[in-house]
Amino acid sequence: MADTLAHAHHDTHQDHGHGGHDHGHHHHTETFWTKYVFSQDHKTIAKQFLITGIIMAILGIGMSSLFRLQLAYPDMKFWILEALLGSKWAPEGQLSPDFYLALVTMHGTFMVFFVLTAGLSGTFSNFLIPLQLGARDMASGFINMLSYWFFFVSSVLMIISLFVSGGPASAGWTIYPPLSALPQAMPGSGAGMTLWLISMAIFIASSLMGSINYITTVLNLRTEGMSLLRMPLTIWAFFLTAIIGVLSFPVLFSAALLLTFDRLLGTSFFLSDIFIGGEALHYQGGSPILFQHLFWFLGHPEVYIVLLPALGISSEVISVNSRKPIFGYQAMIVSMVGIAFLSFIVWAHHMFVTGMHPFLGTVFMLFTLVIAVPSAVKAFNYITTLWRGNIRFTPAMLFAIGLVSFFITGGITGIFLGNAALDIPLHDTYFVTAHFHLVMGSASAFGFFAGIYHWYPKLFGRMMNPRLGYIHFWLTFVSLYLVFFPMHFMGLGGVARHYYDQSAFAFMSVFADLEIFITVAAILGAVSQFIFLGNFFWNIFFGVKAPANPWEANTLEWTTPRLPGHGNWEGAIPHVYRWPYDYSKPGVKKDYLPQHIPDEEVEYEDGFPRPAGVPDHDHGHTIKVEEVKKDNH
Amino acid sequence: MDAQMLIGVAQAMLIGILLIVCLNLYLIFRLKDLDPFAKWDPNAVNGALLLLFIIAGLPAAFLSSMAWSKEMVMTYNAASEHGQVIDNMFWWTMAVAVFVTVLTNILLFYFSWKYRYREGQKALYYPHNNRIEVLWTVVPAIVLTALVLRGVIVWNDVTGPAPDNALNIELNGKQFAWTARYPGSDLEFGETSVFLINEAKGNSLGFNLDDKRGFDDLVVSELVIPVNTDIELKIRSRDVLHSATLMHFRVKMDAVPGMTTRFHFKPTITTADMRLQTGNDAFEYEMSCQQICGGGHWNMRLPVRVVTMEEYKAWLAQQKTFIASYRELNPEKPAAPAPATQETPAPDQTASAQTVVH
Repeated sequence: MADTLAHAHHDTHQDHGHGGHDHGHHHHTETFWTKYVFSQDHKTIAKQFLITGIIMAILGIGMSSLFRLQLAYPDMKFWILEALLGSKWAPEGQLSPDFYLALVTMHGTFMVFFVLTAGLSGTFSNFLIPLQLGARDMASGFINMLSYWFFFVSSVLMIISLFVSGGPASAGWTIYPPLSALPQAMPGSGAGMTLWLISMAIFIASSLMGSINYITTVLNLRTEGMSLLRMPLTIWAFFLTAIIGVLSFPVLFSAALLLTFDRLLGTSFFLSDIFIGGEALHYQGGSPILFQHLFWFLGHPEVYIVLLPALGISSEVISVNSRKPIFGYQAMIVSMVGIAFLSFIVWAHHMFVTGMHPFLGTVFMLFTLVIAVPSAVKAFNYITTLWRGNIRFTPAMLFAIGLVSFFITGGITGIFLGNAALDIPLHDTYFVTAHFHLVMGSASAFGFFAGIYHWYPKLFGRMMNPRLGYIHFWLTFVSLYLVFFPMHFMGLGGVARHYYDQSAFAFMSVFADLEIFITVAAILGAVSQFIFLGNFFWNIFFGVKAPANPWEANTLEWTTPRLPGHGNWEGAIPHVYRWPYDYSKPGVKKDYLPQHIPDEEVEYEDGFPRPAGVPDHDHGHTIKVEEVKKDNH
Repeated sequence: MDAQMLIGVAQAMLIGILLIVCLNLYLIFRLKDLDPFAKWDPNAVNGALLLLFIIAGLPAAFLSSMAWSKEMVMTYNAASEHGQVIDNMFWWTMAVAVFVTVLTNILLFYFSWKYRYREGQKALYYPHNNRIEVLWTVVPAIVLTALVLRGVIVWNDVTGPAPDNALNIELNGKQFAWTARYPGSDLEFGETSVFLINEAKGNSLGFNLDDKRGFDDLVVSELVIPVNTDIELKIRSRDVLHSATLMHFRVKMDAVPGMTTRFHFKPTITTADMRLQTGNDAFEYEMSCQQICGGGHWNMRLPVRVVTMEEYKAWLAQQKTFIASYRELNPEKPAAPAPATQETPAPDQTASAQTVVH
């Protein structure tokens, strides 16, 4: 570690700027409120998203630990449950079935939307898009600020919903009606559900404002020389994520709105022929399946909204720390575009056995298995990037490698579930839980961690402790596999999701010991996050000051001052002369070649002929292995 | 393991982690010179651990799968005709999945270790290779095409119409119980409507008492089916979504209020035979609900028995028809049409016509 940190190359070539005059310092009077609270600076907003995301993650993971206790010990009483949840939801330390479902639902809602959507995208899209593209700030700082504060309000409302008298929404994070529509069906479908819907509506507004800003910034505010095909893969991922978000979140809004009408105005969009609570209700002609279509029209792209930023971050981290160009840069872009497009036409694979017409099942099965192809290409490309690299195991790199492993192991089970015929026995079992927790949950969380460890020096100007990072990685990585791998066994045993207690069914109760094992592993995983929290918060204030370019990376964010002010660059904005992945380029003295170094300033090894003309298009033609081998020796 | 053990393990882990963290913090901030870890090359250590992870992880994954395999219903003989086909497809997919996962994970961790940082080592500048990239786009595409085409055939087969002579059975889900309805000797179900439900009078499905076809229907809380007979399940719910899941038969279909879903299958192994096959004298088929439906979701169990045709007929003959049990409960007004029982005026009763099932 020490040797990777020791290099403090002062790469900031501020004096070669061509005609860019100083926009760097905007000396308006800043108060505490405008600087830290209602800030329009993308870096501050990124930190606000990050801290809020971390708080929501603590709550979300905490809830999972509580319901894991119930799953492992359905008959036991835990004082901690009563102490935390009160005697209404956990009388004498025994979790009530209704609140068990509430915990499961809120765990899903918090983790999917608040942590891995807003937390991940909000943090890194905001932070990296301007810094890596060479922009002073987002296209609209004001809308960006609104985006955060809408997110903040929606988070607060969602947290408040935990405390209403019927409990929070409990119908699963997918809130399928009629369960979510009728307060008679479960206590959580009362005020808790109303707050859920309001919170999500505000969340969607926040997400849209963020996404529009990201798209506009990427399209319009790139520095000179930063063509689309010179953008780091992080930016490509954030850009495509934003496009997916803009196209899909409004559909969730419409679903939430119609559901609200059904709940409050008595319309029948999703309800029909219902007898509940001792009476027949007036609803006629609606279809619960319509809701599922609308929900999954967002819900499936949402998976990629969560995953793509993590894949973008890992592309960057793996390339930097392998000291190699990312393998197949253009193939990576094409794969991501393919995934982004296909993500819109696979949604009904969540609905094979919900009573949807079987012909639709055929269509969606075809598209679903097609999406496995670009995903496979990405996995192979990551592995090839490691091949013959010179890998520096920073904590970020370890998390990125862990991400690839989760992406493979969790992704492969998608070819079971995407196959409608195999989905019949596996749908709504722990097999599904295992699948998406690995490929979407764990992989994206690892992308999040990789991003935090990698860009912490730029976020806070200080270094995290790498050794605590290693301990954090190993405990988290091993415990996540120990939690989610055995869930496949239970899924193949037919154990249903959302079960408060499996002892009612003989074929499910045989897994009781495995549930205990999983709970122990889950609590180990949850506890080890405290190492991260300590490392994260302590070093914001007391960490070792970061060198200018601690990982010797090529991208533009490392050309800014240690703690960039408003406007990011003090002098002119650097121009860009090449793609971001010129690592270990033959003939070049150092093993990295930043994007902003003009060709005439590149230092070549002694005796290496300075290439004539513009060496910029190197990534455009194939370099044969043999040629490179010759160069190397 | 019991809860005390969990708490014990959790405490031990907590203490262990705290110790490691404290030791680290101490070494980092106070005694840098004495730090034993300082001499460790993180690249060598983490590289070795990554290699160790895959060397230990693969056998662990394999052995644990083997150890649990006899508990998994998917490893049993599927107890239905289409289930055998699904299982066959499942194992082919499993072969592909295991091969790909093991191979790519091995490469991932092996390369991580093999190409760990070493002083003076230079990485290979290798930005792309079109031939390889085309290869690993096309090969997965071909394999997936094969799997998906087979999947389409199986899916169409499974979801196709049942033969005309199939035995119709209706499954009714509600919070939180299932009932099964048999059409009786006329082989036709009577009309029902949620507006006619009257639990107090024992009309929990909402039979229309004007429809005589319903009189001989049987409503029972177990599912008894004859072996080697085509069964057409009609699946309904009166309140929220449920999912009728017969894991041993590879059958699953949601129950959706406002519509009737269906699933056709043909059981091939009787309960008695399955007891012999599994060596478990207490073995019972079970139907569960696998779509979250509220607080009692976990307890929506319907016992299932697969019997020979003779046993089935004998069982059928013992059951009480709907009208018989209804009259028992409401002795004074035998066949009076049940009024809409609740205050809800149901302004246009034409609505109920849409909900009727034949």
